[in-house]
Amino acid sequence: MEEIKDQAYFKALARKLMFELTDEEADDIVQEFKTLCVQLQLLEAIDTTGVEPMVYPFETPTVYLREDEENHTISQEEALSNASKVVQGHFSVPRVVK
Amino acid sequence: MTILEMLKDTAHAEERILEAVQKAHESQKDLNAIVTFIDPAEQIAHLNEHKGGLLEGVPVALKDNVNTKGIKTTASSRILENYIPVFDATIVKKMREAGAVFIAKASMDELAMGGTNTTSVTGPVRNPHNLECMAGGSSGGSAALVAAGVVPMAIGSDTGDSIRKPASFCGVVGFKPTYGRISRYGIIPYSSSLDHVGVFTRSVKDAAVSLEVLAGRDDHDMTSSSLPVEHYLDAVKGDVAGKKIAVLKNVIDAIDDEATLHCFNDVIEGLKAKGAIVDVVEMNEDLLKALLPAYYLIANCEATANHSNLDGIRFGNRVDAETSEEIMIKTRTEGFGPLIRKRFVIGSYGLFWENQEKLFRQAQRVRRLIVEEVSRVLKDYDVYVAPAAPGGAPKLDDTSRDELSDKYLVADNHMILGNFTGYPSITVPMGLSDGMPVGINLTGRAFEESELLNIAQAVEDITGLCDSKVGD
Repeated sequence: MEEIKDQAYFKALARKLMFELTDEEADDIVQEFKTLCVQLQLLEAIDTTGVEPMVYPFETPTVYLREDEENHTISQEEALSNASKVVQGHFSVPRVVK
Repeated sequence: MTILEMLKDTAHAEERILEAVQKAHESQKDLNAIVTFIDPAEQIAHLNEHKGGLLEGVPVALKDNVNTKGIKTTASSRILENYIPVFDATIVKKMREAGAVFIAKASMDELAMGGTNTTSVTGPVRNPHNLECMAGGSSGGSAALVAAGVVPMAIGSDTGDSIRKPASFCGVVGFKPTYGRISRYGIIPYSSSLDHVGVFTRSVKDAAVSLEVLAGRDDHDMTSSSLPVEHYLDAVKGDVAGKKIAVLKNVIDAIDDEATLHCFNDVIEGLKAKGAIVDVVEMNEDLLKALLPAYYLIANCEATANHSNLDGIRFGNRVDAETSEEIMIKTRTEGFGPLIRKRFVIGSYGLFWENQEKLFRQAQRVRRLIVEEVSRVLKDYDVYVAPAAPGGAPKLDDTSRDELSDKYLVADNHMILGNFTGYPSITVPMGLSDGMPVGINLTGRAFEESELLNIAQAVEDITGLCDSKVGD
Protein backbone atom coordinates (compact mmCIF):
# COMPACT_ATOMS: atom_id res chain seq x y z
CA MET A 1 0.00 0.00 0.00
CA GLU A 2 1.31 3.41 -0.93
CA GLU A 3 1.96 5.85 1.88
CA ILE A 4 -0.61 8.67 2.02
CA LYS A 5 0.95 11.96 0.88
CA ASP A 6 0.03 15.50 1.84
CA GLN A 7 -0.52 18.71 -0.08
CA ALA A 8 3.07 19.92 0.40
CA TYR A 9 4.43 16.69 -1.09
CA PHE A 10 2.48 17.10 -4.32
CA LYS A 11 3.25 20.81 -4.56
CA ALA A 12 6.96 20.05 -4.34
CA LEU A 13 6.59 17.31 -6.94
CA ALA A 14 4.77 19.68 -9.29
CA ARG A 15 7.55 22.23 -8.92
CA LYS A 16 10.04 19.58 -10.12
CA LEU A 17 7.84 19.20 -13.20
CA MET A 18 8.10 22.95 -13.75
CA PHE A 19 4.59 24.03 -12.78
CA GLU A 20 2.66 25.11 -9.70
CA LEU A 21 -0.47 23.72 -8.08
CA THR A 22 -3.01 25.82 -6.22
CA ASP A 23 -3.97 24.72 -2.69
CA GLU A 24 -7.26 23.45 -4.07
CA GLU A 25 -5.58 21.45 -6.85
CA ALA A 26 -3.06 19.93 -4.45
CA ASP A 27 -5.91 19.02 -2.13
CA ASP A 28 -7.76 17.33 -5.02
CA ILE A 29 -4.67 15.24 -5.75
CA VAL A 30 -4.40 14.23 -2.08
CA GLN A 31 -8.00 12.97 -2.21
CA GLU A 32 -7.64 11.29 -5.62
CA PHE A 33 -4.39 9.68 -4.53
CA LYS A 34 -6.31 7.81 -1.82
CA THR A 35 -8.53 6.23 -4.50
CA LEU A 36 -5.52 5.58 -6.70
CA CYS A 37 -3.74 3.81 -3.82
CA VAL A 38 -6.64 1.35 -3.50
CA GLN A 39 -6.54 0.78 -7.28
CA LEU A 40 -2.77 0.30 -7.15
CA GLN A 41 -3.27 -2.49 -4.62
CA LEU A 42 -5.12 -4.36 -7.38
CA LEU A 43 -2.05 -3.92 -9.55
CA GLU A 44 0.48 -4.84 -6.89
CA ALA A 45 -1.50 -7.98 -6.03
CA ILE A 46 -0.75 -9.55 -9.43
CA ASP A 47 2.09 -12.06 -9.28
CA THR A 48 4.54 -11.01 -11.98
CA THR A 49 7.47 -13.16 -10.94
CA GLY A 50 9.58 -13.91 -14.00
CA VAL A 51 7.47 -11.68 -16.29
CA GLU A 52 9.31 -9.22 -18.52
CA PRO A 53 7.93 -5.66 -18.75
CA MET A 54 6.06 -5.01 -22.01
CA VAL A 55 7.15 -1.71 -23.52
CA TYR A 56 5.38 -1.78 -26.90
CA PRO A 57 2.46 -3.94 -28.11
CA PHE A 58 4.56 -5.82 -30.66
CA GLU A 59 8.10 -7.00 -30.47
CA THR A 60 8.61 -7.51 -34.22
CA PRO A 61 11.35 -5.07 -35.32
CA THR A 62 10.07 -2.09 -37.29
CA VAL A 63 13.25 -0.01 -37.09
CA TYR A 64 15.80 -0.30 -39.88
CA LEU A 65 19.15 1.31 -40.60
CA ARG A 66 19.02 3.71 -43.51
CA GLU A 67 21.66 5.47 -45.55
CA ASP A 68 23.05 8.50 -43.73
CA GLU A 69 21.56 10.93 -46.20
CA GLU A 70 20.01 14.25 -45.36
CA ASN A 71 16.24 14.25 -45.76
CA HIS A 72 13.21 15.87 -44.27
CA THR A 73 14.73 19.17 -43.23
CA ILE A 74 13.03 22.42 -42.28
CA SER A 75 14.42 25.92 -42.78
CA GLN A 76 15.73 28.07 -39.95
CA GLU A 77 12.80 30.40 -40.49
CA GLU A 78 10.36 27.52 -40.08
CA ALA A 79 12.16 26.23 -37.00
CA LEU A 80 11.85 29.61 -35.33
CA SER A 81 8.36 30.44 -36.56
CA ASN A 82 6.58 29.35 -33.39
CA ALA A 83 8.99 30.88 -30.88
CA SER A 84 7.70 33.89 -28.93
CA LYS A 85 11.10 35.57 -28.92
CA VAL A 86 13.78 35.27 -31.58
CA VAL A 87 17.02 37.28 -31.73
CA GLN A 88 19.44 37.03 -34.65
CA GLY A 89 18.21 33.60 -35.70
CA HIS A 90 18.16 32.10 -32.21
CA PHE A 91 15.52 31.27 -29.61
CA SER A 92 15.81 34.03 -27.05
CA VAL A 93 15.65 33.67 -23.26
CA PRO A 94 16.58 36.07 -20.44
CA ARG A 95 20.30 36.53 -19.83
CA VAL A 96 21.68 33.58 -17.83
CA VAL A 97 25.05 35.05 -16.77
CA LYS A 98 24.56 38.45 -15.21
CA MET B 1 -24.67 10.80 -46.21
CA THR B 2 -21.84 8.25 -46.30
CA ILE B 3 -18.46 8.44 -48.02
CA LEU B 4 -19.49 5.73 -50.47
CA GLU B 5 -22.62 7.66 -51.45
CA MET B 6 -20.56 10.80 -51.98
CA LEU B 7 -18.13 8.93 -54.22
CA LYS B 8 -21.02 7.94 -56.49
CA ASP B 9 -21.73 11.62 -57.14
CA THR B 10 -18.41 13.46 -57.28
CA ALA B 11 -19.88 16.00 -59.72
CA HIS B 12 -21.55 17.73 -56.76
CA ALA B 13 -18.51 17.56 -54.46
CA GLU B 14 -18.03 21.31 -54.22
CA GLU B 15 -21.67 21.86 -53.32
CA ARG B 16 -21.45 19.23 -50.59
CA ILE B 17 -18.25 20.65 -49.16
CA LEU B 18 -19.80 24.12 -48.89
CA GLU B 19 -22.88 22.60 -47.32
CA ALA B 20 -20.66 20.83 -44.76
CA VAL B 21 -18.95 24.13 -43.96
CA GLN B 22 -22.32 25.78 -43.44
CA LYS B 23 -23.51 22.92 -41.23
CA ALA B 24 -20.28 23.13 -39.24
CA HIS B 25 -20.88 26.81 -38.50
CA GLU B 26 -24.52 26.20 -37.65
CA SER B 27 -23.68 23.33 -35.32
CA GLN B 28 -21.08 25.22 -33.34
CA LYS B 29 -23.48 27.09 -31.05
CA ASP B 30 -25.03 23.84 -29.85
CA LEU B 31 -22.15 21.37 -30.02
CA ASN B 32 -19.04 23.50 -29.52
CA ALA B 33 -17.21 20.73 -31.39
CA ILE B 34 -14.81 22.87 -33.44
CA VAL B 35 -11.64 24.64 -32.38
CA THR B 36 -10.67 26.03 -35.80
CA PHE B 37 -12.69 26.35 -39.00
CA ILE B 38 -10.68 25.72 -42.18
CA ASP B 39 -11.55 27.69 -45.31
CA PRO B 40 -11.74 25.00 -48.04
CA ALA B 41 -11.49 27.39 -51.04
CA GLU B 42 -7.90 26.50 -51.95
CA GLN B 43 -8.51 22.78 -51.52
CA ILE B 44 -11.62 23.00 -53.71
CA ALA B 45 -9.56 24.74 -56.38
CA HIS B 46 -7.25 21.71 -56.48
CA LEU B 47 -9.99 19.05 -56.44
CA ASN B 48 -9.34 18.11 -60.07
CA GLU B 49 -5.85 16.91 -59.15
CA HIS B 50 -7.33 14.10 -57.08
CA LYS B 51 -9.84 12.60 -59.51
CA GLY B 52 -10.61 8.99 -58.68
CA GLY B 53 -9.16 9.24 -55.17
CA LEU B 54 -10.85 7.14 -52.50
CA LEU B 55 -11.90 10.32 -50.68
CA GLU B 56 -12.49 12.55 -53.69
CA GLY B 57 -14.35 15.65 -52.56
CA VAL B 58 -15.18 14.21 -49.13
CA PRO B 59 -15.32 16.83 -46.34
CA VAL B 60 -13.31 15.68 -43.32
CA ALA B 61 -12.72 16.96 -39.78
CA LEU B 62 -9.41 16.39 -38.00
CA LYS B 63 -8.92 16.06 -34.26
CA ASP B 64 -6.95 19.08 -33.15
CA ASN B 65 -3.89 17.02 -32.23
CA VAL B 66 -3.21 16.33 -35.94
CA ASN B 67 -0.48 18.64 -37.21
CA THR B 68 -1.62 20.66 -40.22
CA LYS B 69 0.89 22.88 -41.98
CA GLY B 70 -0.07 26.54 -41.66
CA ILE B 71 -3.24 25.77 -39.67
CA LYS B 72 -3.43 26.27 -35.92
CA THR B 73 -3.13 22.99 -34.00
CA THR B 74 -3.83 23.44 -30.30
CA ALA B 75 -4.64 19.97 -28.94
CA SER B 76 -7.32 21.96 -27.10
CA SER B 77 -4.67 23.26 -24.70
CA ARG B 78 -3.94 26.86 -23.76
CA ILE B 79 -0.21 26.16 -23.98
CA LEU B 80 -0.52 25.47 -27.73
CA GLU B 81 -3.24 27.97 -28.57
CA ASN B 82 -0.92 29.93 -30.90
CA TYR B 83 0.96 26.94 -32.36
CA ILE B 84 1.01 26.78 -36.17
CA PRO B 85 2.79 23.65 -37.46
CA VAL B 86 5.36 23.87 -40.24
CA PHE B 87 4.58 20.35 -41.41
CA ASP B 88 1.67 18.02 -42.12
CA ALA B 89 1.08 14.74 -40.32
CA THR B 90 1.55 11.78 -42.66
CA ILE B 91 -2.18 10.99 -42.56
CA VAL B 92 -2.98 14.55 -43.68
CA LYS B 93 -0.84 14.04 -46.78
CA LYS B 94 -2.43 10.67 -47.48
CA MET B 95 -5.97 11.98 -47.16
CA ARG B 96 -5.21 15.05 -49.26
CA GLU B 97 -3.75 12.83 -52.01
CA ALA B 98 -6.95 10.76 -51.86
CA GLY B 99 -9.00 13.90 -52.45
CA ALA B 100 -10.25 14.71 -48.93
CA VAL B 101 -11.08 18.32 -48.11
CA PHE B 102 -10.45 19.43 -44.54
CA ILE B 103 -13.03 21.77 -43.11
CA ALA B 104 -12.43 21.80 -39.35
CA LYS B 105 -10.08 21.00 -36.48
CA ALA B 106 -12.21 19.28 -33.87
CA SER B 107 -12.23 19.79 -30.12
CA MET B 108 -10.76 17.17 -27.82
CA ASP B 109 -9.91 16.70 -24.17
CA GLU B 110 -6.80 18.75 -23.49
CA LEU B 111 -3.79 16.90 -24.96
CA ALA B 112 -6.10 13.89 -25.43
CA MET B 113 -5.91 13.15 -21.71
CA GLY B 114 -9.50 12.50 -20.69
CA GLY B 115 -12.67 10.62 -21.50
CA THR B 116 -15.31 13.34 -21.35
CA ASN B 117 -14.29 16.15 -23.74
CA THR B 118 -15.08 18.57 -20.93
CA THR B 119 -11.46 19.70 -20.44
CA SER B 120 -10.82 21.51 -23.73
CA VAL B 121 -9.67 25.09 -23.30
CA THR B 122 -12.57 26.01 -25.61
CA GLY B 123 -15.15 24.41 -23.31
CA PRO B 124 -17.10 21.14 -23.31
CA VAL B 125 -18.38 19.42 -26.44
CA ARG B 126 -22.09 18.57 -26.28
CA ASN B 127 -23.71 15.40 -27.57
CA PRO B 128 -25.91 15.95 -30.68
CA HIS B 129 -28.48 13.48 -29.31
CA ASN B 130 -28.94 15.47 -26.10
CA LEU B 131 -27.10 18.72 -25.51
CA GLU B 132 -27.07 18.16 -21.75
CA CYS B 133 -24.93 15.04 -22.24
CA MET B 134 -21.24 14.66 -22.97
CA ALA B 135 -19.98 13.51 -26.36
CA GLY B 136 -17.30 11.45 -24.63
CA GLY B 137 -13.59 11.86 -25.09
CA SER B 138 -11.01 12.45 -25.81
CA SER B 139 -12.04 12.64 -29.51
CA GLY B 140 -15.48 14.09 -28.68
CA GLY B 141 -15.49 16.89 -31.25
CA SER B 142 -14.81 14.44 -34.09
CA ALA B 143 -17.53 12.06 -32.86
CA ALA B 144 -20.10 14.84 -32.50
CA LEU B 145 -19.43 16.23 -36.00
CA VAL B 146 -19.93 12.83 -37.64
CA ALA B 147 -23.02 12.09 -35.51
CA ALA B 148 -24.56 15.46 -36.42
CA GLY B 149 -24.04 14.74 -40.12
CA VAL B 150 -21.64 17.64 -40.62
CA VAL B 151 -18.96 15.37 -42.11
CA PRO B 152 -19.03 11.66 -43.04
CA MET B 153 -15.52 11.10 -41.69
CA ALA B 154 -13.44 12.52 -38.86
CA ILE B 155 -10.03 11.58 -37.56
CA GLY B 156 -9.58 10.68 -33.91
CA SER B 157 -6.87 9.23 -31.72
CA ASP B 158 -7.33 6.47 -29.17
CA THR B 159 -5.04 5.84 -26.21
CA GLY B 160 -7.50 4.16 -23.81
CA ASP B 161 -10.81 4.20 -25.71
CA SER B 162 -10.82 7.79 -27.01
CA ILE B 163 -12.40 6.88 -30.35
CA ARG B 164 -14.46 3.87 -29.41
CA LYS B 165 -16.21 5.34 -26.32
CA PRO B 166 -17.30 8.64 -27.92
CA ALA B 167 -18.49 6.61 -30.92
CA SER B 168 -20.75 4.65 -28.58
CA PHE B 169 -22.03 7.82 -26.86
CA CYS B 170 -22.71 9.60 -30.18
CA GLY B 171 -24.11 6.65 -32.15
CA VAL B 172 -21.48 6.38 -34.91
CA VAL B 173 -18.80 3.91 -35.99
CA GLY B 174 -15.45 4.40 -34.21
CA PHE B 175 -12.51 2.35 -35.43
CA LYS B 176 -8.91 2.07 -34.36
CA PRO B 177 -6.90 -0.45 -36.37
CA THR B 178 -3.86 -2.35 -35.17
CA TYR B 179 -1.02 -0.41 -33.52
CA GLY B 180 1.41 0.44 -36.33
CA ARG B 181 -1.22 0.09 -39.08
CA ILE B 182 -1.59 3.89 -39.38
CA SER B 183 1.36 6.26 -38.99
CA ARG B 184 1.38 8.40 -35.86
CA TYR B 185 3.88 10.84 -37.36
CA GLY B 186 2.63 14.35 -36.78
CA ILE B 187 0.06 13.44 -34.13
CA ILE B 188 0.72 15.32 -30.89
CA PRO B 189 1.40 12.35 -28.61
CA TYR B 190 -0.14 11.32 -25.32
CA SER B 191 1.31 7.88 -24.58
CA SER B 192 3.56 6.53 -27.33
CA SER B 193 3.10 2.84 -26.59
CA LEU B 194 -0.70 3.12 -26.45
CA ASP B 195 -1.61 5.87 -28.95
CA HIS B 196 -3.50 4.81 -32.07
CA VAL B 197 -4.91 6.86 -34.96
CA GLY B 198 -8.36 5.98 -36.20
CA VAL B 199 -11.63 7.23 -37.65
CA PHE B 200 -15.26 8.02 -36.99
CA THR B 201 -17.65 7.23 -39.83
CA ARG B 202 -21.36 6.70 -40.42
CA SER B 203 -20.99 3.11 -41.65
CA VAL B 204 -18.64 0.15 -41.37
CA LYS B 205 -17.91 0.24 -45.09
CA ASP B 206 -16.81 3.87 -44.78
CA ALA B 207 -14.45 2.81 -42.00
CA ALA B 208 -12.97 0.24 -44.41
CA VAL B 209 -12.47 2.84 -47.15
CA SER B 210 -10.89 5.24 -44.65
CA LEU B 211 -8.44 2.60 -43.48
CA GLU B 212 -7.35 1.86 -47.02
CA VAL B 213 -6.37 5.52 -47.38
CA LEU B 214 -4.71 5.94 -43.98
CA ALA B 215 -2.83 2.65 -43.58
CA GLY B 216 0.75 1.83 -44.50
CA ARG B 217 4.38 1.97 -43.49
CA ASP B 218 5.83 5.41 -42.82
CA ASP B 219 9.56 5.73 -42.20
CA HIS B 220 8.85 8.82 -40.08
CA ASP B 221 7.09 6.59 -37.54
CA MET B 222 9.51 3.90 -36.43
CA THR B 223 6.66 1.84 -34.95
CA SER B 224 4.64 1.69 -38.17
CA SER B 225 4.23 -1.70 -39.80
CA SER B 226 5.54 -2.78 -43.21
CA LEU B 227 2.73 -5.32 -43.71
CA PRO B 228 0.90 -4.69 -46.99
CA VAL B 229 -2.28 -2.62 -47.01
CA GLU B 230 -5.29 -4.68 -48.02
CA HIS B 231 -8.40 -3.80 -50.00
CA TYR B 232 -10.47 -3.69 -46.86
CA LEU B 233 -13.76 -2.78 -48.54
CA ASP B 234 -13.66 -5.99 -50.60
CA ALA B 235 -13.65 -8.03 -47.40
CA VAL B 236 -16.64 -6.30 -45.80
CA LYS B 237 -19.41 -8.76 -46.65
CA GLY B 238 -21.13 -9.23 -43.30
CA ASP B 239 -20.66 -12.97 -43.70
CA VAL B 240 -20.35 -14.53 -40.26
CA ALA B 241 -21.36 -18.12 -40.99
CA GLY B 242 -18.98 -20.30 -39.00
CA LYS B 243 -17.19 -17.32 -37.46
CA LYS B 244 -16.35 -17.76 -33.78
CA ILE B 245 -17.33 -14.92 -31.48
CA ALA B 246 -16.53 -14.65 -27.76
CA VAL B 247 -18.77 -12.61 -25.45
CA LEU B 248 -16.81 -11.16 -22.52
CA LYS B 249 -18.67 -12.39 -19.43
CA ASN B 250 -16.76 -10.12 -17.03
CA VAL B 251 -18.05 -7.01 -18.80
CA ILE B 252 -21.63 -8.26 -19.08
CA ASP B 253 -21.67 -9.12 -15.37
CA ALA B 254 -20.53 -5.60 -14.46
CA ILE B 255 -23.34 -3.85 -16.37
CA ASP B 256 -26.66 -3.10 -14.70
CA ASP B 257 -28.30 -1.08 -17.49
CA GLU B 258 -31.04 -3.35 -18.83
CA ALA B 259 -31.56 -1.46 -22.08
CA THR B 260 -27.85 -1.76 -22.95
CA LEU B 261 -27.89 -5.48 -22.21
CA HIS B 262 -31.12 -5.89 -24.21
CA CYS B 263 -29.59 -4.21 -27.29
CA PHE B 264 -26.46 -6.32 -26.90
CA ASN B 265 -28.42 -9.58 -26.61
CA ASP B 266 -30.43 -8.70 -29.72
CA VAL B 267 -27.19 -8.32 -31.69
CA ILE B 268 -25.86 -11.61 -30.34
CA GLU B 269 -29.07 -13.42 -31.32
CA GLY B 270 -28.80 -11.85 -34.77
CA LEU B 271 -25.23 -13.05 -35.17
CA LYS B 272 -26.26 -16.56 -34.16
CA ALA B 273 -29.11 -16.45 -36.68
CA LYS B 274 -26.57 -15.58 -39.36
CA GLY B 275 -24.58 -18.70 -38.50
CA ALA B 276 -21.95 -17.35 -36.10
CA ILE B 277 -20.78 -19.58 -33.27
CA VAL B 278 -21.09 -17.52 -30.09
CA ASP B 279 -19.68 -18.54 -26.70
CA VAL B 280 -19.49 -16.71 -23.41
CA VAL B 281 -15.90 -16.56 -22.16
CA GLU B 282 -14.43 -15.31 -18.94
CA MET B 283 -11.10 -13.56 -18.59
CA ASN B 284 -9.05 -13.51 -15.40
CA GLU B 285 -11.01 -11.05 -13.24
CA ASP B 286 -7.98 -9.96 -11.20
CA LEU B 287 -6.17 -8.96 -14.39
CA LEU B 288 -9.18 -7.06 -15.69
CA LYS B 289 -9.44 -5.13 -12.42
CA ALA B 290 -5.74 -4.26 -12.66
CA LEU B 291 -6.23 -2.96 -16.20
CA LEU B 292 -7.18 0.60 -15.29
CA PRO B 293 -4.45 1.24 -12.69
CA ALA B 294 -1.85 -0.28 -15.03
CA TYR B 295 -3.10 1.94 -17.84
CA TYR B 296 -3.16 4.99 -15.62
CA LEU B 297 0.48 4.51 -14.70
CA ILE B 298 1.80 3.67 -18.17
CA ALA B 299 -0.17 6.42 -19.92
CA ASN B 300 0.65 9.16 -17.43
CA CYS B 301 4.32 8.20 -17.09
CA GLU B 302 4.73 8.33 -20.88
CA ALA B 303 2.75 11.57 -21.12
CA THR B 304 4.91 13.28 -18.52
CA ALA B 305 7.99 12.53 -20.61
CA ASN B 306 6.32 13.34 -23.96
CA HIS B 307 5.18 16.78 -22.85
CA SER B 308 8.37 17.92 -21.19
CA ASN B 309 9.07 19.89 -24.40
CA LEU B 310 6.07 22.15 -23.83
CA ASP B 311 7.97 24.94 -22.11
CA GLY B 312 7.17 28.12 -24.07
CA ILE B 313 10.73 28.55 -25.37
CA ARG B 314 10.67 26.98 -28.84
CA PHE B 315 6.91 27.05 -29.27
CA GLY B 316 3.81 27.49 -27.20
CA ASN B 317 2.18 30.31 -25.37
CA ARG B 318 5.16 31.80 -23.48
CA VAL B 319 4.53 33.70 -20.24
CA ASP B 320 7.39 36.15 -19.69
CA ALA B 321 9.48 36.17 -16.50
CA GLU B 322 12.90 37.15 -15.20
CA THR B 323 14.63 33.80 -15.76
CA SER B 324 14.32 30.90 -18.22
CA GLU B 325 13.25 28.62 -15.38
CA GLU B 326 10.50 31.00 -14.30
CA ILE B 327 9.34 31.34 -17.92
CA MET B 328 8.91 27.58 -18.09
CA ILE B 329 7.17 27.33 -14.73
CA LYS B 330 4.76 30.18 -15.46
CA THR B 331 4.14 28.98 -19.02
CA ARG B 332 3.36 25.45 -17.88
CA THR B 333 1.29 26.58 -14.87
CA GLU B 334 -0.90 28.84 -16.96
CA GLY B 335 -0.75 26.69 -20.08
CA PHE B 336 -1.94 23.34 -18.67
CA GLY B 337 -5.39 22.83 -17.18
CA PRO B 338 -5.75 21.35 -13.67
CA LEU B 339 -6.49 17.81 -14.90
CA ILE B 340 -3.34 17.72 -17.00
CA ARG B 341 -1.17 18.94 -14.17
CA LYS B 342 -2.69 16.30 -11.87
CA ARG B 343 -1.95 13.57 -14.38
CA PHE B 344 1.63 14.73 -14.82
CA VAL B 345 2.09 14.63 -11.05
CA ILE B 346 0.81 11.05 -10.89
CA GLY B 347 2.98 10.16 -13.89
CA SER B 348 6.14 11.52 -12.38
CA TYR B 349 5.32 9.83 -9.07
CA GLY B 350 5.33 6.51 -10.91
CA LEU B 351 8.67 7.33 -12.53
CA PHE B 352 10.58 8.18 -9.33
CA TRP B 353 13.40 5.72 -8.99
CA GLU B 354 12.01 4.40 -5.69
CA ASN B 355 8.59 3.81 -7.35
CA GLN B 356 9.68 2.82 -10.84
CA GLU B 357 10.13 -0.87 -10.16
CA LYS B 358 7.06 -1.44 -7.99
CA LEU B 359 4.72 0.82 -10.00
CA PHE B 360 5.80 1.61 -13.57
CA ARG B 361 7.61 -1.67 -14.28
CA GLN B 362 4.92 -3.63 -12.44
CA ALA B 363 2.34 -1.97 -14.71
CA GLN B 364 4.37 -2.99 -17.76
CA ARG B 365 4.63 -6.58 -16.47
CA VAL B 366 0.90 -6.72 -15.81
CA ARG B 367 0.41 -5.37 -19.32
CA ARG B 368 2.20 -8.43 -20.69
CA LEU B 369 0.02 -10.78 -18.64
CA ILE B 370 -3.13 -8.99 -19.82
CA VAL B 371 -1.99 -9.22 -23.45
CA GLU B 372 -1.34 -12.95 -23.01
CA GLU B 373 -4.83 -13.35 -21.54
CA VAL B 374 -6.45 -11.60 -24.51
CA SER B 375 -4.33 -13.63 -26.95
CA ARG B 376 -5.52 -16.79 -25.23
CA VAL B 377 -9.14 -15.87 -26.00
CA LEU B 378 -8.39 -14.86 -29.58
CA LYS B 379 -6.56 -18.13 -30.24
CA ASP B 380 -9.98 -19.79 -30.34
CA TYR B 381 -12.18 -16.92 -31.55
CA ASP B 382 -12.19 -14.52 -34.49
CA VAL B 383 -13.31 -11.62 -32.31
CA TYR B 384 -14.45 -10.90 -28.77
CA VAL B 385 -17.37 -8.55 -28.14
CA ALA B 386 -18.91 -6.55 -25.31
CA PRO B 387 -20.97 -3.38 -24.87
CA ALA B 388 -18.61 -0.45 -25.45
CA ALA B 389 -19.83 1.27 -22.29
CA PRO B 390 -22.16 0.38 -19.40
CA GLY B 391 -24.84 2.75 -20.74
CA GLY B 392 -25.47 5.90 -22.75
CA ALA B 393 -23.58 9.18 -22.47
CA PRO B 394 -23.60 10.67 -18.96
CA LYS B 395 -24.80 14.21 -18.32
CA LEU B 396 -22.07 16.85 -18.60
CA ASP B 397 -22.17 17.53 -14.86
CA ASP B 398 -22.36 13.87 -13.81
CA THR B 399 -19.91 13.10 -11.00
CA SER B 400 -21.68 10.03 -9.66
CA ARG B 401 -19.21 7.36 -10.78
CA ASP B 402 -17.67 5.06 -8.19
CA GLU B 403 -14.06 4.62 -9.27
CA LEU B 404 -13.61 1.46 -7.24
CA SER B 405 -16.69 -0.37 -8.54
CA ASP B 406 -16.61 -3.26 -11.02
CA LYS B 407 -18.83 -1.17 -13.26
CA TYR B 408 -16.14 1.48 -13.50
CA LEU B 409 -13.03 -0.72 -13.41
CA VAL B 410 -14.30 -3.34 -15.88
CA ALA B 411 -17.42 -2.26 -17.80
CA ASP B 412 -16.39 1.35 -18.29
CA ASN B 413 -12.74 0.73 -19.11
CA HIS B 414 -12.39 -2.71 -20.73
CA MET B 415 -11.61 -1.21 -24.14
CA ILE B 416 -8.14 -0.34 -22.83
CA LEU B 417 -7.46 -4.01 -23.71
CA GLY B 418 -7.30 -2.91 -27.34
CA ASN B 419 -4.56 -0.39 -26.53
CA PHE B 420 -2.53 -2.73 -24.34
CA THR B 421 -2.58 -5.43 -27.03
CA GLY B 422 -2.54 -3.09 -30.01
CA TYR B 423 -5.26 -5.26 -31.59
CA PRO B 424 -7.80 -3.72 -34.00
CA SER B 425 -11.02 -2.68 -32.32
CA ILE B 426 -14.25 -1.11 -33.52
CA THR B 427 -17.41 0.26 -31.95
CA VAL B 428 -20.64 0.00 -33.94
CA PRO B 429 -24.02 1.50 -32.90
CA MET B 430 -26.43 -1.11 -31.47
CA GLY B 431 -29.44 0.86 -30.21
CA LEU B 432 -30.63 3.26 -27.54
CA SER B 433 -30.72 3.33 -23.76
CA ASP B 434 -32.90 6.02 -22.21
CA GLY B 435 -32.89 7.84 -25.55
CA MET B 436 -29.10 7.86 -25.91
CA PRO B 437 -27.04 5.71 -28.30
CA VAL B 438 -25.14 2.67 -27.09
CA GLY B 439 -22.54 0.75 -29.07
CA ILE B 440 -21.11 -2.73 -29.26
CA ASN B 441 -17.34 -3.14 -29.34
CA LEU B 442 -15.59 -5.85 -31.33
CA THR B 443 -11.88 -6.62 -31.12
CA GLY B 444 -9.96 -8.95 -33.42
CA ARG B 445 -6.47 -10.32 -33.95
CA ALA B 446 -3.47 -8.14 -34.86
CA PHE B 447 -3.52 -6.89 -38.46
CA GLU B 448 -6.70 -8.86 -39.22
CA GLU B 449 -8.74 -5.72 -39.86
CA SER B 450 -10.52 -7.28 -42.83
CA GLU B 451 -12.05 -9.99 -40.67
CA LEU B 452 -12.98 -7.51 -37.93
CA LEU B 453 -14.67 -5.18 -40.41
CA ASN B 454 -16.49 -8.10 -42.02
CA ILE B 455 -18.01 -9.15 -38.68
CA ALA B 456 -18.75 -5.50 -37.77
CA GLN B 457 -20.70 -5.25 -41.03
CA ALA B 458 -22.86 -8.16 -39.90
CA VAL B 459 -23.66 -6.21 -36.72
CA GLU B 460 -24.63 -3.17 -38.80
CA ASP B 461 -26.82 -5.36 -41.02
CA ILE B 462 -28.58 -6.69 -37.91
CA THR B 463 -29.23 -3.30 -36.31
CA GLY B 464 -29.91 -1.41 -39.53
CA LEU B 465 -28.08 1.54 -37.96
CA CYS B 466 -26.13 2.63 -41.01
CA ASP B 467 -25.92 6.38 -41.64
CA SER B 468 -28.63 6.88 -39.02
CA LYS B 469 -29.61 10.43 -38.19
CA VAL B 470 -29.73 12.06 -34.77
CA GLY B 471 -33.26 11.52 -33.48
CA ASP B 472 -33.95 8.42 -35.62
